[in-house]
Amino acid sequence: MEIDLKNVLVALTGDHNPVAAEVVDALRSNGAALGDLSSVLPDILVVSLPLLPRDGYDPQPLLQIARTAASRMVARGKGRIVFLASAMAVMPMRRHPGFSVAMADMFATVRTLAMECGPTVLVNAVGVGAVGDPLVAGDAAMLSHASVKRSGTVREVTDTLLFFCDPLNTYTTGQMLLVDGGWSAGYGRNF
Amino acid sequence: MRVDLEERVALVTGAAGTIGRAIARRLSENGARVVVADIDPGGAENYAATLSNAIAVTIDISSLESTEAGVREIIERCGRLDILVNNAGVNTLAHRVTMDAFPPEEWERITRVDLDGLYFMSRAALQPMLAGGKGGRIINIASVVGLAAMRLQSPFVGAKAGIVHLTRSMALELGPQGVLTNAIAPGSIMSEGTRALFYGADGKFAGRTAEFMQHLPLGRPGTADEIAEVALFLASPGASYINGQVLAVDGGWTAGYMM
Repeated sequence: MEIDLKNVLVALTGDHNPVAAEVVDALRSNGAALGDLSSVLPDILVVSLPLLPRDGYDPQPLLQIARTAASRMVARGKGRIVFLASAMAVMPMRRHPGFSVAMADMFATVRTLAMECGPTVLVNAVGVGAVGDPLVAGDAAMLSHASVKRSGTVREVTDTLLFFCDPLNTYTTGQMLLVDGGWSAGYGRNF
Repeated sequence: MRVDLEERVALVTGAAGTIGRAIARRLSENGARVVVADIDPGGAENYAATLSNAIAVTIDISSLESTEAGVREIIERCGRLDILVNNAGVNTLAHRVTMDAFPPEEWERITRVDLDGLYFMSRAALQPMLAGGKGGRIINIASVVGLAAMRLQSPFVGAKAGIVHLTRSMALELGPQGVLTNAIAPGSIMSEGTRALFYGADGKFAGRTAEFMQHLPLGRPGTADEIAEVALFLASPGASYINGQVLAVDGGWTAGYMM
Protein backbone atom coordinates (compact mmCIF):
# COMPACT_ATOMS: atom_id res chain seq x y z
CA MET A 1 0.00 0.00 0.00
CA GLU A 2 1.30 3.41 -0.94
CA ILE A 3 0.09 6.87 -0.05
CA ASP A 4 1.51 10.18 -1.10
CA LEU A 5 3.07 11.96 1.87
CA LYS A 6 5.51 14.02 -0.13
CA ASN A 7 6.04 17.39 1.55
CA VAL A 8 4.10 16.20 4.60
CA LEU A 9 5.70 16.69 8.01
CA VAL A 10 4.90 13.98 10.54
CA ALA A 11 5.78 13.63 14.21
CA LEU A 12 5.27 10.71 16.57
CA THR A 13 4.94 11.29 20.28
CA GLY A 14 4.41 8.95 23.18
CA ASP A 15 5.29 5.31 23.66
CA HIS A 16 8.23 3.81 21.84
CA ASN A 17 7.53 0.21 20.91
CA PRO A 18 8.14 -2.09 17.94
CA VAL A 19 4.88 -1.09 16.23
CA ALA A 20 5.58 2.63 16.62
CA ALA A 21 9.04 2.12 15.16
CA GLU A 22 7.57 0.43 12.08
CA VAL A 23 5.01 3.22 11.79
CA VAL A 24 7.81 5.75 11.56
CA ASP A 25 9.53 3.69 8.86
CA ALA A 26 6.27 3.33 6.90
CA LEU A 27 5.55 7.05 7.04
CA ARG A 28 9.07 7.82 5.92
CA SER A 29 8.99 5.33 3.06
CA ASN A 30 5.78 6.96 1.81
CA GLY A 31 7.53 10.28 1.49
CA ALA A 32 6.88 11.95 4.85
CA ALA A 33 9.49 14.03 6.60
CA LEU A 34 9.82 13.28 10.30
CA GLY A 35 9.92 16.10 12.80
CA ASP A 36 10.01 16.55 16.55
CA LEU A 37 6.85 17.85 18.19
CA SER A 38 8.93 19.85 20.65
CA SER A 39 10.22 22.05 17.86
CA VAL A 40 7.64 21.93 15.05
CA LEU A 41 3.90 21.57 14.63
CA PRO A 42 3.57 18.68 12.17
CA ASP A 43 0.96 18.20 9.48
CA ILE A 44 0.20 14.78 10.97
CA LEU A 45 0.75 13.85 14.62
CA VAL A 46 0.85 10.18 15.59
CA VAL A 47 0.07 9.73 19.28
CA SER A 48 1.51 6.42 20.39
CA LEU A 49 0.06 4.73 23.48
CA PRO A 50 1.35 1.47 24.95
CA LEU A 51 0.02 -1.55 23.07
CA LEU A 52 0.87 -4.20 25.65
CA PRO A 53 -1.23 -3.99 28.83
CA ARG A 54 0.58 -1.93 31.45
CA ASP A 55 -0.69 -1.69 35.02
CA GLY A 56 -0.97 1.83 36.33
CA TYR A 57 -0.61 3.48 32.95
CA ASP A 58 -1.84 7.08 33.05
CA PRO A 59 -2.69 8.40 29.59
CA GLN A 60 -3.44 11.93 30.74
CA PRO A 61 -0.01 13.53 30.12
CA LEU A 62 0.03 12.19 26.56
CA LEU A 63 -3.60 13.11 25.92
CA GLN A 64 -2.84 16.64 27.10
CA ILE A 65 -0.01 16.84 24.60
CA ALA A 66 -2.46 15.76 21.90
CA ARG A 67 -5.02 18.36 22.98
CA THR A 68 -2.43 21.11 22.88
CA ALA A 69 -1.25 20.06 19.42
CA ALA A 70 -4.85 19.88 18.23
CA SER A 71 -5.50 23.45 19.39
CA ARG A 72 -2.44 24.67 17.55
CA MET A 73 -3.51 22.78 14.41
CA VAL A 74 -6.96 24.39 14.58
CA ALA A 75 -5.32 27.81 14.93
CA ARG A 76 -3.16 27.02 11.91
CA GLY A 77 -6.16 25.78 9.94
CA LYS A 78 -5.18 22.21 9.11
CA GLY A 79 -3.84 18.99 10.55
CA ARG A 80 -4.43 15.38 11.38
CA ILE A 81 -3.97 13.39 14.54
CA VAL A 82 -3.91 9.60 14.55
CA PHE A 83 -3.79 7.70 17.82
CA LEU A 84 -2.11 4.32 17.96
CA ALA A 85 -3.70 2.46 20.85
CA SER A 86 -5.09 -0.84 22.08
CA ALA A 87 -8.36 -2.39 20.93
CA MET A 88 -9.23 -2.63 24.62
CA ALA A 89 -10.57 0.91 24.19
CA VAL A 90 -13.86 -0.56 23.01
CA MET A 91 -13.74 -4.03 24.55
CA PRO A 92 -12.42 -3.94 28.11
CA MET A 93 -10.64 -7.00 29.46
CA ARG A 94 -11.35 -8.19 33.01
CA ARG A 95 -7.69 -8.84 33.72
CA HIS A 96 -6.64 -5.38 32.54
CA PRO A 97 -9.17 -2.99 34.08
CA GLY A 98 -6.92 0.04 34.51
CA PHE A 99 -5.42 -0.30 31.05
CA SER A 100 -8.89 -0.74 29.51
CA VAL A 101 -10.09 2.43 31.21
CA ALA A 102 -7.00 4.31 30.01
CA MET A 103 -7.71 3.22 26.43
CA ALA A 104 -11.38 4.19 26.71
CA ASP A 105 -10.18 7.58 27.91
CA MET A 106 -8.08 7.81 24.76
CA PHE A 107 -11.05 7.00 22.53
CA ALA A 108 -13.30 9.55 24.24
CA THR A 109 -10.52 12.05 23.60
CA VAL A 110 -10.44 11.09 19.92
CA ARG A 111 -14.18 11.66 19.62
CA THR A 112 -14.34 14.91 21.49
CA LEU A 113 -11.28 16.30 19.71
CA ALA A 114 -12.87 15.37 16.38
CA MET A 115 -15.93 17.41 17.30
CA GLU A 116 -13.91 20.31 18.69
CA CYS A 117 -11.39 20.49 15.88
CA GLY A 118 -13.45 20.00 12.74
CA PRO A 119 -13.67 20.85 9.99
CA THR A 120 -9.98 21.60 9.55
CA VAL A 121 -8.42 18.91 11.74
CA LEU A 122 -9.23 15.20 11.48
CA VAL A 123 -8.76 12.95 14.51
CA ASN A 124 -8.89 9.15 14.34
CA ALA A 125 -7.43 6.08 15.99
CA VAL A 126 -6.10 2.64 15.16
CA GLY A 127 -7.06 0.07 17.80
CA VAL A 128 -4.61 -2.79 17.86
CA GLY A 129 -5.44 -6.33 18.91
CA ALA A 130 -3.06 -9.25 19.34
CA VAL A 131 -0.14 -8.53 17.05
CA GLY A 132 3.21 -10.24 16.59
CA ASP A 133 4.70 -13.56 17.58
CA PRO A 134 5.79 -13.10 20.31
CA LEU A 135 3.15 -10.47 20.94
CA VAL A 136 4.09 -6.82 20.64
CA ALA A 137 0.49 -5.71 21.18
CA GLY A 138 -2.58 -7.04 22.94
CA ASP A 139 -3.01 -10.11 25.09
CA ALA A 140 -2.67 -13.77 24.17
CA ALA A 141 -6.25 -14.37 25.34
CA MET A 142 -7.45 -12.32 22.37
CA LEU A 143 -6.28 -15.03 20.00
CA SER A 144 -8.88 -17.56 21.11
CA HIS A 145 -11.64 -15.13 20.16
CA ALA A 146 -10.17 -13.67 16.98
CA SER A 147 -12.09 -15.20 14.08
CA VAL A 148 -9.03 -14.76 11.88
CA LYS A 149 -7.13 -17.59 13.46
CA ARG A 150 -3.78 -15.93 13.95
CA SER A 151 -2.16 -12.89 15.46
CA GLY A 152 -1.83 -9.82 13.29
CA THR A 153 1.35 -8.52 11.76
CA VAL A 154 2.94 -5.16 12.40
CA ARG A 155 2.55 -4.40 8.69
CA GLU A 156 -1.21 -4.81 9.01
CA VAL A 157 -1.18 -2.16 11.73
CA THR A 158 1.05 0.25 9.84
CA ASP A 159 -1.08 -0.01 6.69
CA THR A 160 -4.16 0.91 8.71
CA LEU A 161 -2.38 3.88 10.21
CA LEU A 162 -1.33 4.96 6.71
CA PHE A 163 -4.99 4.73 5.69
CA PHE A 164 -5.83 7.43 8.23
CA CYS A 165 -2.93 9.54 6.96
CA ASP A 166 -3.97 9.17 3.32
CA PRO A 167 -4.59 12.60 1.76
CA LEU A 168 -7.52 11.01 -0.11
CA ASN A 169 -9.19 9.84 3.11
CA THR A 170 -10.93 13.09 3.96
CA TYR A 171 -14.39 12.40 5.40
CA THR A 172 -13.42 10.12 8.30
CA THR A 173 -13.05 11.72 11.72
CA GLY A 174 -13.77 10.69 15.29
CA GLN A 175 -13.42 7.03 14.39
CA MET A 176 -11.35 4.13 15.57
CA LEU A 177 -10.65 1.22 13.25
CA LEU A 178 -9.68 -1.96 15.04
CA VAL A 179 -6.98 -4.22 13.64
CA ASP A 180 -7.86 -7.22 15.73
CA GLY A 181 -8.81 -10.08 13.43
CA GLY A 182 -12.44 -9.87 14.51
CA TRP A 183 -11.75 -10.12 18.25
CA SER A 184 -14.09 -7.27 19.16
CA ALA A 185 -16.85 -8.27 16.72
CA GLY A 186 -18.28 -10.83 19.09
CA TYR A 187 -17.39 -13.95 20.90
CA GLY A 188 -16.11 -16.41 18.38
CA ARG A 189 -17.18 -19.52 20.12
CA ASN A 190 -19.07 -22.27 18.37
CA PHE A 191 -22.47 -21.09 19.54
CA MET B 1 -3.77 5.41 -1.88
CA ARG B 2 -2.37 2.91 -4.28
CA VAL B 3 -2.90 -0.81 -3.60
CA ASP B 4 -2.37 -3.97 -5.60
CA LEU B 5 -5.61 -5.65 -6.66
CA GLU B 6 -4.20 -7.33 -9.77
CA GLU B 7 -5.74 -10.76 -10.42
CA ARG B 8 -8.71 -9.92 -8.16
CA VAL B 9 -12.29 -9.95 -9.37
CA ALA B 10 -14.50 -7.47 -7.55
CA LEU B 11 -18.30 -7.39 -7.73
CA VAL B 12 -19.96 -4.08 -6.88
CA THR B 13 -23.75 -4.04 -6.63
CA GLY B 14 -25.71 -0.91 -7.34
CA ALA B 15 -22.72 0.09 -9.42
CA ALA B 16 -24.69 2.36 -11.74
CA GLY B 17 -25.44 4.64 -8.79
CA THR B 18 -23.33 7.44 -7.39
CA ILE B 19 -21.45 5.61 -4.65
CA GLY B 20 -21.28 2.33 -6.56
CA ARG B 21 -19.71 4.03 -9.56
CA ALA B 22 -17.04 5.64 -7.40
CA ILE B 23 -16.18 2.36 -5.67
CA ALA B 24 -16.05 0.46 -8.97
CA ARG B 25 -13.73 3.06 -10.44
CA ARG B 26 -11.28 3.04 -7.52
CA LEU B 27 -11.11 -0.76 -7.51
CA SER B 28 -10.55 -0.73 -11.26
CA GLU B 29 -7.85 1.93 -11.03
CA ASN B 30 -6.00 -0.30 -8.61
CA GLY B 31 -5.95 -3.32 -10.87
CA ALA B 32 -9.09 -5.26 -10.04
CA ARG B 33 -11.27 -6.74 -12.74
CA VAL B 34 -14.56 -5.11 -11.78
CA VAL B 35 -18.05 -6.47 -12.26
CA VAL B 36 -20.39 -3.52 -12.55
CA ALA B 37 -23.66 -5.00 -11.32
CA ASP B 38 -26.94 -3.17 -11.29
CA ILE B 39 -30.65 -3.76 -11.71
CA ASP B 40 -30.44 -1.28 -14.59
CA PRO B 41 -28.75 -3.08 -17.52
CA GLY B 42 -28.13 0.09 -19.50
CA GLY B 43 -26.63 1.89 -16.53
CA ALA B 44 -24.31 -1.01 -15.81
CA GLU B 45 -23.24 -1.36 -19.45
CA ASN B 46 -22.60 2.33 -19.86
CA TYR B 47 -20.52 2.63 -16.74
CA ALA B 48 -18.54 -0.58 -17.30
CA ALA B 49 -17.57 0.78 -20.69
CA THR B 50 -15.80 3.68 -18.97
CA LEU B 51 -13.54 1.40 -16.91
CA SER B 52 -10.64 -0.72 -18.01
CA ASN B 53 -11.13 -4.47 -17.74
CA ALA B 54 -14.68 -4.25 -16.39
CA ILE B 55 -17.83 -6.15 -17.31
CA ALA B 56 -21.49 -5.39 -16.72
CA VAL B 57 -23.89 -7.89 -15.19
CA THR B 58 -27.55 -7.30 -14.47
CA ILE B 59 -28.45 -8.30 -10.92
CA ASP B 60 -31.58 -7.61 -8.91
CA ILE B 61 -30.40 -8.30 -5.38
CA SER B 62 -33.97 -8.62 -4.10
CA SER B 63 -34.19 -11.86 -6.08
CA LEU B 64 -32.29 -14.94 -4.91
CA GLU B 65 -32.49 -16.34 -8.44
CA SER B 66 -31.05 -13.17 -9.94
CA THR B 67 -28.11 -13.11 -7.53
CA GLU B 68 -27.32 -16.76 -8.24
CA ALA B 69 -27.59 -16.27 -11.99
CA GLY B 70 -25.37 -13.20 -11.76
CA VAL B 71 -22.67 -15.07 -9.86
CA ARG B 72 -22.83 -17.94 -12.39
CA GLU B 73 -22.29 -15.43 -15.17
CA ILE B 74 -19.36 -13.86 -13.32
CA ILE B 75 -17.67 -17.21 -12.84
CA GLU B 76 -18.22 -18.09 -16.50
CA ARG B 77 -16.75 -14.80 -17.69
CA CYS B 78 -14.12 -14.06 -15.03
CA GLY B 79 -13.38 -17.46 -13.49
CA ARG B 80 -13.37 -16.32 -9.88
CA LEU B 81 -14.77 -13.87 -7.36
CA ASP B 82 -12.63 -12.30 -4.64
CA ILE B 83 -14.33 -9.13 -3.47
CA LEU B 84 -18.01 -8.34 -2.97
CA VAL B 85 -19.15 -4.80 -2.26
CA ASN B 86 -22.76 -4.93 -1.11
CA ASN B 87 -23.60 -1.40 -2.13
CA ALA B 88 -27.06 -1.62 -3.69
CA GLY B 89 -29.81 -0.21 -1.54
CA VAL B 90 -32.98 1.84 -1.59
CA ASN B 91 -34.76 4.29 0.66
CA THR B 92 -37.92 6.30 0.29
CA LEU B 93 -38.44 9.90 -0.69
CA ALA B 94 -42.21 9.80 -0.90
CA HIS B 95 -43.03 8.27 2.47
CA ARG B 96 -41.23 10.32 5.12
CA VAL B 97 -43.69 9.41 7.84
CA THR B 98 -43.61 7.87 11.30
CA MET B 99 -43.80 4.13 11.70
CA ASP B 100 -47.51 4.03 12.60
CA ALA B 101 -48.27 5.51 9.18
CA PHE B 102 -45.58 3.74 7.18
CA PRO B 103 -47.10 1.84 4.22
CA PRO B 104 -46.53 -1.91 4.57
CA GLU B 105 -45.77 -2.37 0.88
CA GLU B 106 -43.07 0.30 1.08
CA TRP B 107 -41.63 -1.40 4.18
CA GLU B 108 -41.51 -4.65 2.27
CA ARG B 109 -39.86 -3.06 -0.77
CA ILE B 110 -37.10 -1.39 1.27
CA THR B 111 -36.25 -4.23 3.63
CA ARG B 112 -36.43 -6.70 0.74
CA VAL B 113 -33.64 -4.88 -1.07
CA ASP B 114 -31.59 -3.48 1.79
CA LEU B 115 -31.51 -6.45 4.16
CA ASP B 116 -32.81 -9.53 2.34
CA GLY B 117 -30.94 -8.49 -0.78
CA LEU B 118 -27.65 -8.26 1.05
CA TYR B 119 -28.22 -11.79 2.33
CA PHE B 120 -29.14 -13.14 -1.12
CA MET B 121 -26.13 -11.50 -2.75
CA SER B 122 -23.69 -12.58 -0.06
CA ARG B 123 -25.03 -16.14 -0.07
CA ALA B 124 -24.58 -16.42 -3.80
CA ALA B 125 -21.12 -14.82 -3.83
CA LEU B 126 -19.85 -16.97 -0.99
CA GLN B 127 -20.27 -20.17 -2.99
CA PRO B 128 -17.31 -19.53 -5.32
CA MET B 129 -15.37 -17.56 -2.67
CA LEU B 130 -15.40 -20.44 -0.23
CA ALA B 131 -14.99 -23.12 -2.90
CA GLY B 132 -11.93 -21.30 -4.24
CA GLY B 133 -10.23 -21.69 -0.88
CA LYS B 134 -8.40 -18.40 -1.19
CA GLY B 135 -10.70 -16.39 1.03
CA GLY B 136 -12.22 -13.11 0.04
CA ARG B 137 -13.54 -9.79 1.17
CA ILE B 138 -17.09 -8.60 1.72
CA ILE B 139 -17.70 -4.90 2.23
CA ASN B 140 -21.20 -3.98 3.29
CA ILE B 141 -22.39 -0.45 2.72
CA ALA B 142 -24.48 0.30 5.78
CA SER B 143 -25.38 3.81 6.93
CA VAL B 144 -24.97 6.07 9.93
CA VAL B 145 -28.70 5.58 10.49
CA GLY B 146 -27.82 1.99 11.37
CA LEU B 147 -25.63 3.36 14.17
CA ALA B 148 -27.63 6.41 15.26
CA ALA B 149 -31.36 6.14 14.66
CA MET B 150 -33.16 8.79 12.65
CA ARG B 151 -36.81 9.56 12.25
CA LEU B 152 -39.16 9.04 9.32
CA GLN B 153 -37.39 6.18 7.56
CA SER B 154 -37.98 3.22 9.83
CA PRO B 155 -37.43 0.37 7.33
CA PHE B 156 -34.16 1.90 6.16
CA VAL B 157 -33.03 2.42 9.77
CA GLY B 158 -33.97 -1.13 10.71
CA ALA B 159 -32.36 -2.68 7.65
CA LYS B 160 -29.12 -0.73 8.05
CA ALA B 161 -28.89 -1.58 11.75
CA GLY B 162 -29.39 -5.18 10.67
CA ILE B 163 -26.51 -4.85 8.22
CA VAL B 164 -24.27 -3.41 10.96
CA HIS B 165 -24.78 -6.38 13.23
CA LEU B 166 -24.90 -8.90 10.40
CA THR B 167 -21.44 -7.66 9.41
CA ARG B 168 -20.18 -8.83 12.79
CA SER B 169 -21.81 -12.24 12.65
CA MET B 170 -20.55 -12.73 9.09
CA ALA B 171 -17.06 -11.88 10.37
CA LEU B 172 -17.32 -14.49 13.08
CA GLU B 173 -18.67 -17.16 10.74
CA LEU B 174 -16.51 -16.51 7.70
CA GLY B 175 -13.24 -15.31 9.25
CA PRO B 176 -11.94 -18.82 9.89
CA GLN B 177 -12.39 -19.53 6.18
CA GLY B 178 -10.43 -16.47 5.16
CA VAL B 179 -13.35 -14.30 4.13
CA LEU B 180 -13.19 -10.95 5.92
CA THR B 181 -16.37 -8.94 6.33
CA ASN B 182 -16.47 -5.25 7.19
CA ALA B 183 -18.87 -2.38 6.71
CA ILE B 184 -18.78 1.27 5.88
CA ALA B 185 -21.44 3.47 7.41
CA PRO B 186 -21.63 6.52 5.16
CA GLY B 187 -23.06 9.72 6.52
CA SER B 188 -24.80 12.23 4.31
CA ILE B 189 -23.26 11.68 0.90
CA MET B 190 -23.95 13.87 -2.08
CA SER B 191 -25.76 11.28 -4.19
CA GLU B 192 -28.80 11.83 -6.38
CA GLY B 193 -31.10 10.80 -3.51
CA THR B 194 -29.66 13.05 -0.82
CA ARG B 195 -29.37 15.90 -3.28
CA ALA B 196 -33.08 15.61 -3.99
CA LEU B 197 -33.98 15.30 -0.32
CA PHE B 198 -31.75 17.87 1.31
CA TYR B 199 -29.85 19.96 -1.10
CA GLY B 200 -32.31 20.69 -3.89
CA ALA B 201 -34.52 23.77 -3.78
CA ASP B 202 -37.66 21.62 -3.84
CA GLY B 203 -36.37 18.84 -1.59
CA LYS B 204 -38.46 17.72 1.34
CA PHE B 205 -35.89 19.09 3.82
CA ALA B 206 -34.69 21.97 1.65
CA GLY B 207 -33.92 25.04 3.73
CA ARG B 208 -32.84 22.95 6.71
CA THR B 209 -29.42 22.06 5.33
CA ALA B 210 -27.54 24.51 7.55
CA GLU B 211 -29.35 23.20 10.63
CA PHE B 212 -28.43 19.65 9.66
CA MET B 213 -24.78 20.52 9.03
CA GLN B 214 -24.42 21.75 12.62
CA HIS B 215 -24.42 18.09 13.65
CA LEU B 216 -21.37 17.35 11.50
CA PRO B 217 -17.91 18.33 12.74
CA LEU B 218 -16.80 18.62 9.13
CA GLY B 219 -19.85 20.76 8.34
CA ARG B 220 -20.48 19.41 4.87
CA PRO B 221 -21.88 16.37 3.10
CA GLY B 222 -19.37 13.80 1.92
CA THR B 223 -18.62 12.75 -1.61
CA ALA B 224 -18.86 9.34 -3.22
CA ASP B 225 -15.10 9.42 -3.78
CA GLU B 226 -14.57 9.72 -0.04
CA ILE B 227 -16.56 6.53 0.50
CA ALA B 228 -14.78 4.79 -2.35
CA GLU B 229 -11.35 5.45 -0.84
CA VAL B 230 -12.38 3.64 2.34
CA ALA B 231 -13.85 0.73 0.38
CA LEU B 232 -10.59 0.49 -1.54
CA PHE B 233 -8.64 0.19 1.71
CA LEU B 234 -10.94 -2.49 3.12
CA ALA B 235 -10.52 -4.46 -0.13
CA SER B 236 -6.74 -4.09 -0.08
CA PRO B 237 -4.11 -6.62 1.01
CA GLY B 238 -3.12 -4.30 3.88
CA ALA B 239 -6.52 -4.65 5.56
CA SER B 240 -6.02 -8.38 6.11
CA TYR B 241 -6.42 -8.31 9.91
CA ILE B 242 -9.53 -6.11 9.93
CA ASN B 243 -12.69 -8.15 10.37
CA GLY B 244 -16.15 -7.32 11.69
CA GLN B 245 -15.52 -3.60 11.76
CA VAL B 246 -18.08 -0.93 10.95
CA LEU B 247 -16.32 2.28 10.03
CA ALA B 248 -18.45 5.40 9.93
CA VAL B 249 -17.38 7.72 7.12
CA ASP B 250 -19.60 10.52 8.14
CA GLY B 251 -17.63 13.70 8.73
CA GLY B 252 -17.71 12.95 12.45
CA TRP B 253 -21.50 12.81 12.68
CA THR B 254 -21.45 9.81 15.04
CA ALA B 255 -18.39 10.93 17.02
CA GLY B 256 -20.66 12.43 19.64
CA TYR B 257 -23.26 15.02 20.46
CA MET B 258 -22.42 18.34 18.85
CA MET B 259 -25.04 20.56 20.41
